[in-house]
Amino acid sequence: MLSTVPLERKLQLSGITLILGLVVEALCLLFGHGPIAFLFFVSLGGFLFAIGILLYLYSLLSTKPESSKQ
Amino acid sequence: MPLQTSLIISLVLFSILLIGVLVARPGITGTRGGKIVAFLALFALPLLSGGMGVSTELEHAKTTEFCLSCHIMEPYGKSLHVDDPQHLAAAHFQNHRVPADEACYTCHTDYAMFGGIKAKIGGLRHIYVYYLGKPPAPENIKLYEPYNNRECLHCHSGARSFEEGAVHTADPDLIPALKANKTSCISSGCHDVVHNVGSLKDAKFWKGGN
Repeated sequence: MLSTVPLERKLQLSGITLILGLVVEALCLLFGHGPIAFLFFVSLGGFLFAIGILLYLYSLLSTKPESSKQ
Repeated sequence: MPLQTSLIISLVLFSILLIGVLVARPGITGTRGGKIVAFLALFALPLLSGGMGVSTELEHAKTTEFCLSCHIMEPYGKSLHVDDPQHLAAAHFQNHRVPADEACYTCHTDYAMFGGIKAKIGGLRHIYVYYLGKPPAPENIKLYEPYNNRECLHCHSGARSFEEGAVHTADPDLIPALKANKTSCISSGCHDVVHNVGSLKDAKFWKGGN
């Protein structure tokens, strides 16, 4: 269940995407020994990794800074 | 399973576990410790395991097994077992002049700057042609450009058999011409039997080295 807090939801989506990327990597390393596994890992795995990491970085940038207490 | 792969798989599983905790309980990122865990799980560990995975896959792409996994390359793999010392590729493979597990890559990479990258980009094109294009018959496969002596000299330059070989020294101009790539080692009539996959039907094969 995704969180209702925007920052937490972004982190959850980032995490889910990264888990998928990591699963692709593990499957390619364990069961793939040819060019297709290599391409699958570099294209799909790389895409998921990139999206996941960018989403995490975006979630940091889009967080409104807390007002400093005087 | 190779140790490197086992390590990466362990790292991947650890990352998945850590990310799983964050996905299940995103509220922990509100604390300082949670922020550090989030940075590790959502940035550092995926980058590390992804980088290690790419490195392993690229290393694996150098192996003879990888190159011969395409059906079209089978005759080239077979040509490495021809029982005839005149067959250049077979003589190199059978006598371990090239590492047997990286036989194709050792001769067919480009020993210039960024040669490895160029070879891998060429490999991507091969995959595209193999699966989506019209691959030629094995005997019709040609090199993109004439074989450069640089790839031979990467190992043979300075070797006594090359520098002092009777045929090489018979003509004082030959070795400089070979080193300047003006006379080809392969197509000048000296070492011109390389894979010759078109004539493998009549060839005798060496049974060892499996």
